[in-house]
Amino acid sequence: MGSLSEFFQHFVNGLTLGGVYALIALGYTMVYGILKFINFAHGDVLMVGAYIGLFVFDALRGSAPLGAWTFIAFFLAMLISMVLTAALGVVIERVAYKPLRKASRLAPLLSAIGVSFILSNSAAWAWGTQSRKLNYPFDNTPFEIGGVVITPHQVLVLVVSILMMVALKVFVDRSRMGKAMRATSLDQDTARLMGINVNVVISLTFAIGSALAAAGGMLIALDFKAYPTMGMMLGLKAFVAAVVGGIGNIGGAMLGGITLGLLETFGVAVFGIPQAMKDTISFAVLIIVLLVRPQGLLGKVVREKV
Amino acid sequence: MKKSLLTVLAIVMIAPAFVFAQGDKEEAYNVGFIGPMTGDYANYGILCNNSAVLAVEKFNEAGGINGTPVTLITEDSEGTIEKASSSIEKLSSTDNILALVGPIFTGSTFSVADRCQNEGIPLITPSATHADITKTGDMIFRTVVSDGLQGEVAGHYFYEVLGHRKLAVLYAKNDYSQGLYESMSATFESLGGEIVAAETCLVGDKDFKTQLTKIKAAQPDAIYIPNYTVEMAQILEQAAQLSVGAPFVSCDGFSNPEIYNLAGAYTDGVVYVGPAKVEASDAFNEFAEEYKSVYGIEPDSFAINAYDGANIILNAIKTAAADGKATRQEVRDAIAATKDYEGVGGIINFAENGDLVAYQGVYKVNGTTPEYLGAFQVVNGKLVKVD
Repeated sequence: MGSLSEFFQHFVNGLTLGGVYALIALGYTMVYGILKFINFAHGDVLMVGAYIGLFVFDALRGSAPLGAWTFIAFFLAMLISMVLTAALGVVIERVAYKPLRKASRLAPLLSAIGVSFILSNSAAWAWGTQSRKLNYPFDNTPFEIGGVVITPHQVLVLVVSILMMVALKVFVDRSRMGKAMRATSLDQDTARLMGINVNVVISLTFAIGSALAAAGGMLIALDFKAYPTMGMMLGLKAFVAAVVGGIGNIGGAMLGGITLGLLETFGVAVFGIPQAMKDTISFAVLIIVLLVRPQGLLGKVVREKV
Repeated sequence: MKKSLLTVLAIVMIAPAFVFAQGDKEEAYNVGFIGPMTGDYANYGILCNNSAVLAVEKFNEAGGINGTPVTLITEDSEGTIEKASSSIEKLSSTDNILALVGPIFTGSTFSVADRCQNEGIPLITPSATHADITKTGDMIFRTVVSDGLQGEVAGHYFYEVLGHRKLAVLYAKNDYSQGLYESMSATFESLGGEIVAAETCLVGDKDFKTQLTKIKAAQPDAIYIPNYTVEMAQILEQAAQLSVGAPFVSCDGFSNPEIYNLAGAYTDGVVYVGPAKVEASDAFNEFAEEYKSVYGIEPDSFAINAYDGANIILNAIKTAAADGKATRQEVRDAIAATKDYEGVGGIINFAENGDLVAYQGVYKVNGTTPEYLGAFQVVNGKLVKVD
């Protein structure tokens, strides 16, 4: 690798990629924290969120030129998409997972894979398989700081992901509902005895996770476009990020996402791993973490009670 | 016992005499055809075989070779290399063919071409496009455009006309993309240009920022992206986001109009090499009509190539047989000497290596509209504009 500015350019690229991974990883980690179950349909929920955002934004914007209104319209679209996608997440949980809550742990996992296929195939049927462009709500002309080129989009990704992660952290740590979530994740039965409505908490978890996925989906669709299978690889990567950071741990999901984004970028740029092997990096990291530190970077070792 | 031994001896001694006698009496002009005539790929073989049959029939009607008709012997390869190999054994030894039309597929053509080269049988394939087919030797020709040609024209154009000296390439790991990268860069480097960065991706990738950042650091004069539309659109957009600055040059994949929906204004200024604009000639219309009336089906582009290939072979045999006897080497030389043959698919010339000399169109995108800059070909290592 050449100059220092090239290094920082890779750093910025990796950081934005990681920010998006982190945002999606939060959904996995919250659901796992509460239900001890991997919601494999999460990536496809993200895809639906991206499409909703795209359609709402196009409708709100009409033919307006880039300006303050398009910027506002984008965030309105994001808000609407988050609300609708949150509702979708809650419905999926009610229909596909809740009836299986008492079943073996494999059952909801298989159900999730089924939901994943239903969502991506329905999207392909309804909206076609071609990539759709979510137009930038602002002039995405890059600017330069000390030889490093940064686009307004990258700034947006970082700002939105950080804001949402901080908001979530504050919500879970400070609010009453957050306390209820933490209690439910520690011990569902005891939480219920303490008067916590566990069903509401679980619904809320799915709602928040899906809303974050919708925001992440829109941020991604700006750059990578929206298509029915966009959630597959992203979902897997975010899942790896959640496990690497320590599944069930919100801070860990953020750390895991950023780590993964940087590793993928630098693995190719610095360590000369062929680009074709890029996706392998994430999964190699997953295996190493599972072997060396199964609880993840920030995870706590939970001893099984006898 | 004694009697039977004597009979065998007698036959062994007399048989060659018969063969010789036959050879002396009348020269047999046999042309072979190998292609899949049955099985899953029969559609390709049958269409081409129809052309060869039609060409031979018309040739014989017109008098053949000084009154002697040419015989076409068709062997079925079923689309497999094994069957194609045994077919060429039979055609070469039993039928003693002077030249071969086919085989149809690249895989079969590689193995048959080897055998033809060793036996000294000239071969014209109407459909095997792999760049390395004609490297087998001087007996091998084709009437189909080599995959290598596009890259060659591209390499010349980028170096000579656009004046680029340092190119970066971002190609996908598949036969198409990698093949174009290899042939373009081989030409570009042989002219004195330098490939300063060769980055790869996979078909379906969305994030090209890492590769583009590396490419930007290499400071190329231009970036060659031999890919499919979706990837190219993504590359163009992300390059703008990274302020890469260098202009883009591309391949025939860029001729799909979908690129303008996906990449919009980012396509402005892209120069790409693609198919040349061809106008249908009278000869073509006549052939297509006759083909359809005889076989009840339209000829595909390979069938057109097969018709031209068969006719070039027939004309070559005629030239070679001017002294009353044609050898394979004479036929080969006559094929190589083909000049400006007016085929139904256009004017045909062979390059020194046996490849079809063909044209490639060059286009430049202005806004979101491609402008045709003309047709180009490479003659004796020089880029020539075709009018």
